[in-house]
Amino acid sequence: MNIYRVAWIIFLAIILEQRYGYTQSKYTIDGIIKDAADGESLIGVNVFIRETGQGVVTNAYGFYSLTLPAGSYTIEYSFIGYNKVTRTILLDKNLKLHIELQEQSSQLEEIEILGENEGRSLSIKSIEMSTNKLDIKTIQKLPALLGEVDIVKSLQFLPGVSQAGEGSSGFNVRGGSTGQNLVLLDEAPVYNSSHMLGFFSVFNPDAVKDVKLYKGAIPASYGGRTSAVLDVRMKEGNSKQVEVNGGVGLIFSRLSVEGPLVKDKSSFIVAARRSYIDVLAGPFLDGDLGLNFYDITLKTNYTLNQKNRLYVSGYLGRDNFSLSDDAIFNWGNKTATVRLNTIVSSKLFANFSGVYSNYNYRLGFDQDESNSYDWNSSISNYLFKPDFSYYISETSELNFGLEATYFRFNPSRTVGVTNGETVDNSLELKYALESAAYINHKLKLSPRADVSYGLRLSHFRYLGAGTAYTYNDTIPGKRRSVVSEKEYGSGQTIASYTTPEPRISFKYETDENSSVKASYTRTSQYIHFISNTTASNPLNVWTPSTNNLKPTVSNQFTLGYFRTLGEKSQYEASVETYYRTSENEVDYINGADLLSNRYLEGDLLNGQGRAYGLEVYAQKKSGRLSGWVSYTLSRSELKVNGINRGKWYPARYDQTHNLKVVGILEINKRWSATADFVFTTGTPTTYPNQRYTSQGILIPYNSTNARNDVRISNYHRLDLSLRMEGKTIRRNGKTRRNHDYWVFSVYNIYARKNAFSTYFSQSDDRVATGQPLQAEAHKVSIIGTMVPSVSYNFKF
Amino acid sequence: MLIRQTIYILFLFIGTTALCISCDDVIDVDTGTTEAILNVDAWINNKSETQTISLTLTQDYFDNKSLPPAVSGASVTVTDEAGQVYIFQEDTLSRDGAYRWRPQSNETIGSVGTRYTLTVYYKSEVFIATSQMERVPPMDSITFSKQDDLGGPQSDEDFYQAEFWAKDIAGKGDTYWIRTYKNGSLLNKSSELNIAYDAAQSAGSEFDGVTFITPVRTGINANDEDEDGMRVSSIDPGDSIYVEIHSVTEASFNYLNEVITQTDRNGGLSELFMSTPLANVSSNVVNLDGNGSPVVGFFNVAAVSGLGKKFR
Repeated sequence: MNIYRVAWIIFLAIILEQRYGYTQSKYTIDGIIKDAADGESLIGVNVFIRETGQGVVTNAYGFYSLTLPAGSYTIEYSFIGYNKVTRTILLDKNLKLHIELQEQSSQLEEIEILGENEGRSLSIKSIEMSTNKLDIKTIQKLPALLGEVDIVKSLQFLPGVSQAGEGSSGFNVRGGSTGQNLVLLDEAPVYNSSHMLGFFSVFNPDAVKDVKLYKGAIPASYGGRTSAVLDVRMKEGNSKQVEVNGGVGLIFSRLSVEGPLVKDKSSFIVAARRSYIDVLAGPFLDGDLGLNFYDITLKTNYTLNQKNRLYVSGYLGRDNFSLSDDAIFNWGNKTATVRLNTIVSSKLFANFSGVYSNYNYRLGFDQDESNSYDWNSSISNYLFKPDFSYYISETSELNFGLEATYFRFNPSRTVGVTNGETVDNSLELKYALESAAYINHKLKLSPRADVSYGLRLSHFRYLGAGTAYTYNDTIPGKRRSVVSEKEYGSGQTIASYTTPEPRISFKYETDENSSVKASYTRTSQYIHFISNTTASNPLNVWTPSTNNLKPTVSNQFTLGYFRTLGEKSQYEASVETYYRTSENEVDYINGADLLSNRYLEGDLLNGQGRAYGLEVYAQKKSGRLSGWVSYTLSRSELKVNGINRGKWYPARYDQTHNLKVVGILEINKRWSATADFVFTTGTPTTYPNQRYTSQGILIPYNSTNARNDVRISNYHRLDLSLRMEGKTIRRNGKTRRNHDYWVFSVYNIYARKNAFSTYFSQSDDRVATGQPLQAEAHKVSIIGTMVPSVSYNFKF
Repeated sequence: MLIRQTIYILFLFIGTTALCISCDDVIDVDTGTTEAILNVDAWINNKSETQTISLTLTQDYFDNKSLPPAVSGASVTVTDEAGQVYIFQEDTLSRDGAYRWRPQSNETIGSVGTRYTLTVYYKSEVFIATSQMERVPPMDSITFSKQDDLGGPQSDEDFYQAEFWAKDIAGKGDTYWIRTYKNGSLLNKSSELNIAYDAAQSAGSEFDGVTFITPVRTGINANDEDEDGMRVSSIDPGDSIYVEIHSVTEASFNYLNEVITQTDRNGGLSELFMSTPLANVSSNVVNLDGNGSPVVGFFNVAAVSGLGKKFR
């Protein structure tokens, strides 16, 4: 494919657009939209021009820009959960219109959200598809395990999202593995998004403003993973007054403080969480066993002048497992993001981001002076990303930028002392540079038809200093051995790859209330998450593409139908289908040694993936009773030479049917209730059909050499939560300044022992010689009972 | 194994104390029935004692009532490079599929560095496997110590553990299986499989020519629990243990590693983080007829060094 030709066409299109743009006198309105109560900029606010019937939405920093011919216009600013603001303007020069929107006090009042312009819902109008936005307020209402609000867990209520099982870390989107999701916290990639091995995620809900999940039609500005993008944006901090939020739950407590630093110029937020399981563990166990985690999230911003605003944000979290006095085991992420927003002109918005992210763990034993072991591993990256949005006209918008990421992998640094002799068993560090240039043009072809087309050109270099290994060929599925090694000097390129990634979407509004959308996305992934267990554990590492390990490339096609229903357009429904294929999926030989292994690549297999599905989603967005129904019919398969006789087999997280129903009811001013129901088809697994004995050990054997050809039992569960708002008025009749609420929830109400997995083993009892060995099948339920919980939350 | 143990204890801990909600139940599963195939269990060594190769048929997975069907009427030989043939005679008394070779006085099978071929004639098919006897280091000593904290639930008695001391032979790529007998019985739970690659536990490590690392040295302890699921002391005063280092080929090491992966299941939450998909372990026995009957099992010829000690 000729990339230069494409670039030329885009360039010409811009020039032409510019020419046409200036044949008539046009002016630009731009501004930033904020929440009136706390000054937080609002993402995705609908800015609509009544006269033209067209509109735009605010970007991730609340910025919007509209270019229109001179004239008088009525502009409507609307956002779910906020009162609409309408402004009439006479456009005869460039205008700055900063707007503050007031949050609706309660759904009870049934405020019209879309009013007279029915059907002008974003889901119909926007070209975006395969995207889900989760409002933090909705997340807070979902019944959560142990009452702890969790962003990653709440994704499970969305169509197209599955997981290997309850309690497993991460999430799977449209057939992708968990390591194929790009998880971003204020643009910083998060390499391990869970605390306590997956029961909780690293995001502190008190510090989160916006959560968006891209399952397909991924914008050209995102890259580096093949499956999905979870874009989590942090709050900027209340710029009007000091605000304190906190909560006390069964597992951890939270506290956040936010407020203005310099009036109208700067604000901050600091949010922290700390678990107290290690405290609770005391009475249960002797010794020093304990597991705890903490995390701190902070952000501050400074408005330098009218045009420039600086943001600094960071995250630090750590899980600590104490085993005994002489052992340590801990892990965690660190991220830091510095961003500069520049409104270059009313039409050109620029953002420059510099990001540092690191995940590391440490495991150590210290038996005595002459016998110890210390092991650590990490991945760090340094990322720089300038991004530009050029709002050419009301119908044309250009987004372009660059992204460069430098990686440093420490697969394993190990120093052991055995019987007084010290052995340094560290593996060499690995280095890589991933860079990309991207451009995307969004164009309104007619009032009803939009097209968005772009290209991301990504390039990866696996860099020295390092050793490149060459492996022999062997029977597929067996360990390959090194046949030769070659040393490379510092900065030398060991292997490099380039992938052009076209991204195209199209939307056509069939009528006022419905639209049809289609997209094609190609994505590539150069760093691989190495984990062959059902759920990942903290020791799993990331490894770069090398001369042996090829980058994963995925293609996804989507087609969807979107519709709003009801008198006030209070219902939104969509049906989407997708088809995804991927090359160079990583799989593992049986008995693979993935940790601290110099010859890791010899244990990896290369395969293909394919996934297809149908997602149906219907949501009621407003009113006393709101909620949604999500149903996904899908298939996710892999084909790997050396597994399942080289034939297609379903992925571990494949779920044929996946149904979720969520209902939120506002009972009165003080009480609200949320219920959800989940049903999924049992995930696939492998059973043995034969057994034999090898040196007294019972070995399971599958005579067809199959993988994932049977399924565990279906999963279903019902949860309920009740939220009680604290009194807003004191006994003496004055309004209380602080606001508080209680959340009572019950997870898995009918206490179903949902199977997580079925495994086979030999009974643990010792068998007398001459007696047959006893085989057993076990069913593991992660949450095998009803889990009630309560939490208290406050704000002042 | 160090890493596995740590992670296991971590999950056990979360499962039992933090959440108290996960469970692991024994259930009935129908895994069907299918045609049995030949299983060759051939781990022989250079000790001057009766060497046994066991030929049985595979069984349906849940056939817990009967012993593996014995294979009778096969011919079993081990031949070395020099052409010396060791004939394994079917034990018609035990009738459990054992084929034995009995040494004359101090006779042993083979020497370090020699390649051996196992040949099994059964029902007009020929199955062969090869293995080389690798070198083995001498055992140095065995010590016993009191343990303060095992990690995980344990009963309140005094806990003791044994530790053996030996040095890997200098030069990379030595692989061993450390087999322990407690009061005369082989410890053969899958959780008690103790293997070493040089002085550590995996290939490509720099632990070469040094004393075996702690997890290998202490991997000789029995892993038992009482009726309440509490761990009991690995060794008590009066017990004796005998530890043997068997040299194995790299293929055998990989095989044992696969066996550990497939059979050492701790259940509960560890299923999330430690279990890999069920897959067949490898075999170095092949049917000379590529389209003939399938076969499972492994052949290894080990050199052995051993040492015993009584705990007083």
